[in-house]
Order: sequence, then C-alpha cells, then structure tokens
Amino acid sequence: MHHAIISCLHANLPAVEAVLNDIDKQGIDTITCLGDLVGYGPQPNEVVELIRKRGIATCQGCWDEDIIDGLNACECSYPSQLAERRGHLAHQWTDDQLTDENKCFLASLPTSLRRDRLLFVHGSPNSQHEYLLPDMDAFAALERVETAGADILFCGHTHQPYVRELRDGSIRVRLQSAEHGNDQGEELTLPMRKIVNAGSVGEPRHGSTNATYVIHNDATDEVEIKEVAYDVARTCQAIIEAGLPKVFAWRLSHGFEFAEQAEDASHVCER
Amino acid sequence: MIERWALVSGLRGDLETYELIQRDLKKTRGVTALFVLGDLVGPERNCDALLDRLRNPHRGDLKPDCIYGWWEEQLLAERGFRGERKADALRLSQGEDTVSALLNTVNPSHLKWLASLQFGFIELDCALIHGSSSDVGDNLTAETSPLILLDRLTRLNVNRLFTARSTKQFHLELTGGGINSQVKDLNGKREQQQEVPKRSVIGIGAGLNYTLYDIGSDKTHFLTAGSKTNPKGKGFA
Repeated sequence: MHHAIISCLHANLPAVEAVLNDIDKQGIDTITCLGDLVGYGPQPNEVVELIRKRGIATCQGCWDEDIIDGLNACECSYPSQLAERRGHLAHQWTDDQLTDENKCFLASLPTSLRRDRLLFVHGSPNSQHEYLLPDMDAFAALERVETAGADILFCGHTHQPYVRELRDGSIRVRLQSAEHGNDQGEELTLPMRKIVNAGSVGEPRHGSTNATYVIHNDATDEVEIKEVAYDVARTCQAIIEAGLPKVFAWRLSHGFEFAEQAEDASHVCER
Repeated sequence: MIERWALVSGLRGDLETYELIQRDLKKTRGVTALFVLGDLVGPERNCDALLDRLRNPHRGDLKPDCIYGWWEEQLLAERGFRGERKADALRLSQGEDTVSALLNTVNPSHLKWLASLQFGFIELDCALIHGSSSDVGDNLTAETSPLILLDRLTRLNVNRLFTARSTKQFHLELTGGGINSQVKDLNGKREQQQEVPKRSVIGIGAGLNYTLYDIGSDKTHFLTAGSKTNPKGKGFA
C-alpha cells in the first residue's frame, strides 16, 4: 500500500491544496503530516482547518509547539539574530491570527506517531527542534532511528527532502574494567535503517519553488520524492498584504533560506 | 614528567571518604587536578561538612573542581532552582521520604554554590560529565550499546568521555568499524562511507572507587581509596 507523508506546511494554503490534489489524483488515501502547520505563511487558520477537515494524522512541529508554549523552545537554528527577530514577528502575527479552537487542535497533537516499524516525527525522536540533515554523522543518524525502535524514521524540519539508507555498519570495542580486567575485543553489527525526510510543502528550501512530499510503499519500502508546482505568486501576495516580513515572500519565490551576514557572529543561545 | 588527573564522584556527603582520597592523592606522583564529577550530596547523611570542605579546601588539599550530578539536580529542582521542574525522577524512583531526606541533608546556605556548578568540563580532548552529553542522569555502562556511546562522544566532538552516573569503573574503547550510507534527493544519489573514530568512554566509579588518568600516556588507573594498590598495578593503556 502506498501512503503519503507531508511536512512543514507553514500556513501556505495554495501549496497545501496543490499537494493534497496531487495525492488525491494518485488514489492515495493514507496521509501523515509531520507538523509545522503554521508559521511564516499568511493562512494559518485555513491550513489548520483543512488538515482537521481531511482528518489527516498529524504530529506536532516546532512552530506548532511554540505557538502553544510561547517560544519556550530553543531557536538557535536561526542563521542570524535578524532572522530570529523576523521569526519572532511571524510568531506574534500567527499567535494573533489563530483561533482558540485551532490553537487547541495544535496543542492536542502528539510529538510522534508510530505504525508498526514506521516512526513519524517532526525533527527527530529527541526533539521537534533537532535537525536530521542528510549529511549528518551517519552513526548519530542511525542512533536516532535505532534508539527509537524504528526501522524507518520519517521526519521533516529541514525543508530539504531526502532518503538516507544506513547499512553495513559495525563497531569494534575493547573493554577494560576494574571487575573483569582486560577483555578481548568484540564487534557489534549494526542494523540497516532508513531516514526519510519529506521536505516542505509550504516553504521549500531545496533550491526550487515547488512543494515537496514523499510517497512510501509499505510492501517494498521504496520511497519516491514528489515535487508539485503551485501558485507561488498568490502566497507571496498574501504575505505582503498580511504585513509579514517581505523576505518570507522573497525566499518562497527562490526556494531557499535567506540568510544575511550574521549581525553578531558570536551569538550563542543561553537557554 | 607524569601529569595525572584524579576523577572522583558519588561522595554523597561522605567527608571521611573524601579525606581518604585526598590522603591517597598526596602520596601519588603527578596529580595536578582533582575533578569531582557530581553527586556531592545524597540522602543518607548530612552533607554540610563535605560541602564546606569542597568549598574551602584545607591547606595541603588538592583543590577540587566540581560539577553537579544527578543528586544535586534533584535537590536543586526541588528547591526551585530549575524553573517549574521538581525532583520528579527521584520521587518516582525512590519515593517522597527520600526527597524529604535529601532536602534535610543540605543547609540552604550551600544551594547557591551548588546551583553555580557547571554541567561538565571540556579539558584537552576530554569531556568530564556526571552522566553524558545527553543528560545528567544518562546512565552509561560497559553494557550500553556502542552506538549510543559513540553518539554521546559525537555530540561533544571529544575523544574521551569520563562519566560517573553508573558508579562503575570501566574503560571502553571504540577500536574500529564503519558504516555506509546512501543519500537520495532530487539531485540524485550519493554514497558515503564513515569510519568509527578511535574514542573512549571511561566510567570513573563512585565513593571510595576513583580513577587516575595519565594525560600524557592516555592510561587510566582504577583505584580504591585507602587500599594499598599501586596505580601501576591497575593501569589500562
């Protein structure tokens, strides 16, 4: 059976509608959403209501968490202090716009979903804010999947779709202890695991303006990364009209993160 | 010249044990630093005398550099130094009576000092932490999956992690191995190979059991305070 995984919708209604239409056209009726329904984009209520109306199983993203918890989470991932300030502006705007009912819905979302050997999270099993980047340390990546007891980990948060297969792993160790003295070494064979990042529907940062999502085949474990064109100009116009920072429209129309020179290169999170 | 660190933990208010260790260290060549990796306090006995001694070393004492451990974390949480968190982990594992006992073993005048202690030290290419880079309560042992041990080392990008939470003395070296990975994205596929870096996790023990580390030769010596064992006899390269 095929099922679709979407992530990082970011209040971009035209993109969400286009992706759901694309999924519907393929006759796929199982959809899982990895969170970040809101933030940056101009239609937070519309997107939340569409996901609720469609009954799409959803886990909570970092933006969804922050809207409920009031920016308690660490946001060191901003590339600069200016970017952090823009993020806070967007947070405030989204907080003002969202209805209480939709906030309650975001608060009710679980941090992970599990279907047998498949685990669905926003960032990583450790945190909605942790980035599992495609080239991160392979052992650390495997540790995230293995410790969570999954065969395949589906995540988002990076806005860059990828499929990473981790295989043929082993670690040799030698133990010396006060109890047992010098032990012979032994070798641990590591299991094969997979990380699938769904990219972003509402704010792609993979170098194209197209929305991305993935389709997973339960029987073969094959994963297809899908790109969907949508009316980017319509969302950009709505961002400007809403009074959100114009750079949010700029980066949507370019397909990558806008990162100016850090204002303070020594910026260190104190949380 | 030999240069050694002494690594101690789990004193839990026991001044007598600390004095025995100090006495040992005076007789040991080359010890230049004493690191106390947490669990200075515990619920079994009044801890004030030990805390006084750690804060105000006697003449001739090797001056201790302390970090906080799991028991300090519980105490500080219950005393309101950790935001809304309380000593939930302790309450869950050992009950309300132990929480009360812990509160009674430390005079409030020590709390600000305990709260000022760091989570860990990075010295040379070594991390010195009570639990691990993941959590003060992370219980790493010789039986912990090497994948998890490697992750804890990678998080800090250090070659050696000295940990105390398990109370065990062990030296587990990652000596080899590797992993292949394939990344597929919209630009195509790429293969990556990665080798296991040569790194170690060292459990330093607790109470009377402590560890000496020769920083020049990378040797660890597991010792028991008050015993007559020569560091040479239990050294591990």
